[in-house]
Amino acid sequence: MARVGVFVCYCGANIGDYVDVPKVVEEIKKIKEVRFAFDYKYMCSDPGQTTIKDAIIREKLTSVVVAACSPRMHEKTFRKALLEAGMNPYLLEVANIREHSSWVHQKDKVAATKKAVDLIRMAVSKSIANQQLHEISVPVTKRALVIGGGIAGIQAALDIADAHIPVLLVERSPSIGGRMAQLDETFPTLDCSQCIMTPKMVDAASHPFIELMTYSEVIELQGFVGNYKAKIKRKASYVKFDACTGCGACWQKCPVKVDNEFNFGQGKRKAIYTPFAQAVPNKPVIDAIHCTMLTKGKCGICEKVCEKGAIDYKMTDEVIEREIGAVVVATGYDLWDPKPYEEYGVGRYKDVITSLEFERMVSAGGPTNGLPIRPSDGEVPKTVVFLKCIGSRDESKGISYCSKICCMYTAKHVMLLHHKVHDSHSFVFYMDIRANGKGYEEFVKRAQVDTASTYLRGRVSKIYQKGKKLIVQGEDAQIGQQVQIEADLVVLANAIVPQKDAPELARMLGISYDRYGFLSEAHPKLRPVETTKAGVYLAGCCQAPKDIPESVSQASAAAAKVMGLFASDRLKKDPMVSTVLIENCSGCQNCIPACPYGAITTEEIPIMRGSKDLRTVAKINEGVCQGCGSCVAICRSSAAMLSGYTDLQLMKEVIAL
Amino acid sequence: MNYTKEIQEIAKKLFDEQKIDVFIGYQKSKVSKNQIPFAFKNADEIGSLVFDKQSSHNLVNYLKFEHSKNKKAAIIVKGCDSRSLNLCITENQVKRENLYVIGICCEGIDNENGEKEERCKNCVFPDPALSDTILGNPKGKIAYTPDPEMLEMNNKSMEEKQEFWDKIFGSCIRCNACRHSCPLCYCDKCVIDQTDSTYHHASTSKANASMALLTWSLHLAGRCVDCRNCEKACPQNLPLHLLHKQNEAVIYDNFQNHLAGVNQNDKGAFYKFSYDDPDDFIL
Amino acid sequence: MTNSETLQETSTEKETTWEPVIVGFLCNWCSYAGSDLTGTSRLQYPANIRIIRVPCSSRIDPVFIIKALQSHADGVLISGCHPGDCHYITGNYFARRRFLVTKQLLSFIGIEDERVQYSWVSAAEGAKFAKVVEKVTEGVKKLGPLKFLKREDLL
Repeated sequence: MARVGVFVCYCGANIGDYVDVPKVVEEIKKIKEVRFAFDYKYMCSDPGQTTIKDAIIREKLTSVVVAACSPRMHEKTFRKALLEAGMNPYLLEVANIREHSSWVHQKDKVAATKKAVDLIRMAVSKSIANQQLHEISVPVTKRALVIGGGIAGIQAALDIADAHIPVLLVERSPSIGGRMAQLDETFPTLDCSQCIMTPKMVDAASHPFIELMTYSEVIELQGFVGNYKAKIKRKASYVKFDACTGCGACWQKCPVKVDNEFNFGQGKRKAIYTPFAQAVPNKPVIDAIHCTMLTKGKCGICEKVCEKGAIDYKMTDEVIEREIGAVVVATGYDLWDPKPYEEYGVGRYKDVITSLEFERMVSAGGPTNGLPIRPSDGEVPKTVVFLKCIGSRDESKGISYCSKICCMYTAKHVMLLHHKVHDSHSFVFYMDIRANGKGYEEFVKRAQVDTASTYLRGRVSKIYQKGKKLIVQGEDAQIGQQVQIEADLVVLANAIVPQKDAPELARMLGISYDRYGFLSEAHPKLRPVETTKAGVYLAGCCQAPKDIPESVSQASAAAAKVMGLFASDRLKKDPMVSTVLIENCSGCQNCIPACPYGAITTEEIPIMRGSKDLRTVAKINEGVCQGCGSCVAICRSSAAMLSGYTDLQLMKEVIAL
Repeated sequence: MNYTKEIQEIAKKLFDEQKIDVFIGYQKSKVSKNQIPFAFKNADEIGSLVFDKQSSHNLVNYLKFEHSKNKKAAIIVKGCDSRSLNLCITENQVKRENLYVIGICCEGIDNENGEKEERCKNCVFPDPALSDTILGNPKGKIAYTPDPEMLEMNNKSMEEKQEFWDKIFGSCIRCNACRHSCPLCYCDKCVIDQTDSTYHHASTSKANASMALLTWSLHLAGRCVDCRNCEKACPQNLPLHLLHKQNEAVIYDNFQNHLAGVNQNDKGAFYKFSYDDPDDFIL
Repeated sequence: MTNSETLQETSTEKETTWEPVIVGFLCNWCSYAGSDLTGTSRLQYPANIRIIRVPCSSRIDPVFIIKALQSHADGVLISGCHPGDCHYITGNYFARRRFLVTKQLLSFIGIEDERVQYSWVSAAEGAKFAKVVEKVTEGVKKLGPLKFLKREDLL
């Protein structure tokens, strides 16, 4: 005979103000299987949980229903309470009377109360059909995969490797370093970006526990937490890695010049190249699209000048497979193309450039050796206008969010310009100044006070050419007047956007992404580095725009999660998985394609007890099964059964109404 | 369309060469104008084998039974029958190497009154999808036309439909003859035939009958070949083909012209998907 | 105690107004999370829906829909992840096929389209979930109580 205990929570005023809790308890007590019904202000609190545990023992309960917030909040909490009272934790059901009743029916207490009663009744019925389930454990491969070799990926890889866990760091460009390698100086310290990052890059390349794969891409991830299999494509670089010493003879002699994408098209690189001087690994790759030897069979100069014989035009792409236990995604960001702002002459006027183009110019290793110049005539600009919020915070451009770092790097650009061109004057058009990090407000003040700069609150309506100058027409909202500035150079702080193929990557990994393409965290407040897929973590701007200290923090946090995951030799697994009732199975094998994890295979069993003749039935590997139930609904014979969501349990909920 | 002589010769040869244990074919009924399926066990019995325009049953159903299960069997299949055979092979109910398949390029089956059966008027697949021997002239695939009775039902009002189906569900006596005669219903423990399964109950209440018939039609959706074994077997003359043709038309129109069992290893429509499956009915 | 009895007992003002019962099957990872977000955002929607949590929309067998309609439901809503975003990768693609055929089959036998509805609601679409519930509830309200297919003891 079922003995169900029902515990109804007020959740302070959250449920109590909108649902008549005493009435709910009164109605629930009328159900004959309910032996004990109790209400309390905060069921998840210690005293609340103690009541549950005491009732289980005292009333000899056979299952427990907690009517409170969403099971996604506290199911684990209450399951633990059941376990501590000696009851199987899977005999718990949670009725969601907060998110699904009190919070969404605030204007109709009668209806909200009735709904709460119904939801609890459904949970009571289901809990009676619940079965005792026991945890499964699976082995765990203690190797991590970090996708992306920017500062976030490097930091995560270093932290995991320092814990003596092997890490595979995969980066698709020829060198690690990411966006930070493209920066000149970083706010608020004005540290030389390369100088502070290069030691980390070298560490990552030489760490005994890090296997670095540059010029490589992850093309497939199969499996589940602790037991992933990754396929990585190592693109052909045509340079034998071990033979090359990085002497540079090849790229010095290469006759082909290509627009330098590291510098956003400013200046040239060769067809055999390293992306920047401090590249790690400092070994060149051949760009197969522009190399005349690879495309037309002519040239071969690099092969001739290479004293180590490291050039190999016959190299092909290689696909390798690795077993992985956890993944950290740190694929970074891209910058929004500001072309839709036609009124600013983007693409039309050479002297309207983006912030990262400006950053490359002022970088010592950049296309102009650190001197900002006008792209149109090569002259040094004296009047530079910076426009903030280009794309960001603009619903008409499809970007509602703030890109977080532009206020700070614009202040930095003002300071850098002042240092490089002492008699320059900067104008900054802004909507707000967001400087909320440590030392940030002081940094912006320095930019405003210590340099010849004018901060104007207002937006620019248009930019047009007048002779050699660009006329920037905008509003100074603080005096309510239109202003016109004759500028030599205009720099746009364009929005941070996810990489174009971020959704594709997300689908490959089986994680979610938001409407912009930023990868989704499991919970925005309390689980910012996990995804809803166990074993896959996020770090850096692939999740949302952020600055370097935040990226580094998030990377270390992701590393800590990986270390926690690998702390034991076997991983505990949710026992709500599918099994095959072989007496019902007809052997049609139609369930096999339904499983995306390959958990279903076949086995031969005797036709009847003692018979020598065999028949084929399906077999589900409980270690691989993730508990979706696809096979269960597809099976016509009801041979597949999902523990925790059996046909009986779901039917009881349906007919309990 | 009369291949009685040709098939008798093939059958005799197969028995003489001891290549088969049983030959599944047709025999004239001693009590009615119909033909009945018959499992011939040796060459002596072959004299009563017939095949002509009256050979309407889908014989694939009989591979389920003791005389054929795991034995070497020869079988006659028309176009539609052959697709159900393909599905049985794909779904591991029968091994291809145990079969000798005589495929008939079907010209249509006549009913008792000598007129072409309704379903043969809209035949989409007259030639056998697999065979060891072919008889007749292949016609190639014919353009799909939806069943006119099914279309008529779709044009009725909700009240008319409810009235119609209420009567049908009330008439079903749960004899399971439909399921018993369907070649693709091979599950030893069928869900609709249980007294204590979660969703089904073997009683004749309208709710249970409707649950059974709807479930059964959905289990056959994407697999049914419209052989009409079920309708012929139904003692209450229920128009079972309406449910099957409805599902077949929806699946054909929406899932890349899927027809059951056209190729070996083709799975039923519900066991695969396309990224481009229609979505617009979803909010 | 049946649905309609509690309605009469607990509501003094609206004893005779019929309110439809909608059963909602929501997938845990997207739609159920989305419906939780609706609650967190305090968005309001009609109180007729009763939600059952399933791990994936592909867990839904058409028999659940028929059983719900035969029991107390006047309408059924099934909601899952957007195609391509299923937590279990391919579940909603298989489910989508079954949904289409089931919906049209039920319409074929006389169950109005508006009684059986499907939606894709992601974990971030709290507002969409409220709108979906409103739409489905309104649609079923207009059709009135379901009498066809009901279990005889409930008529």
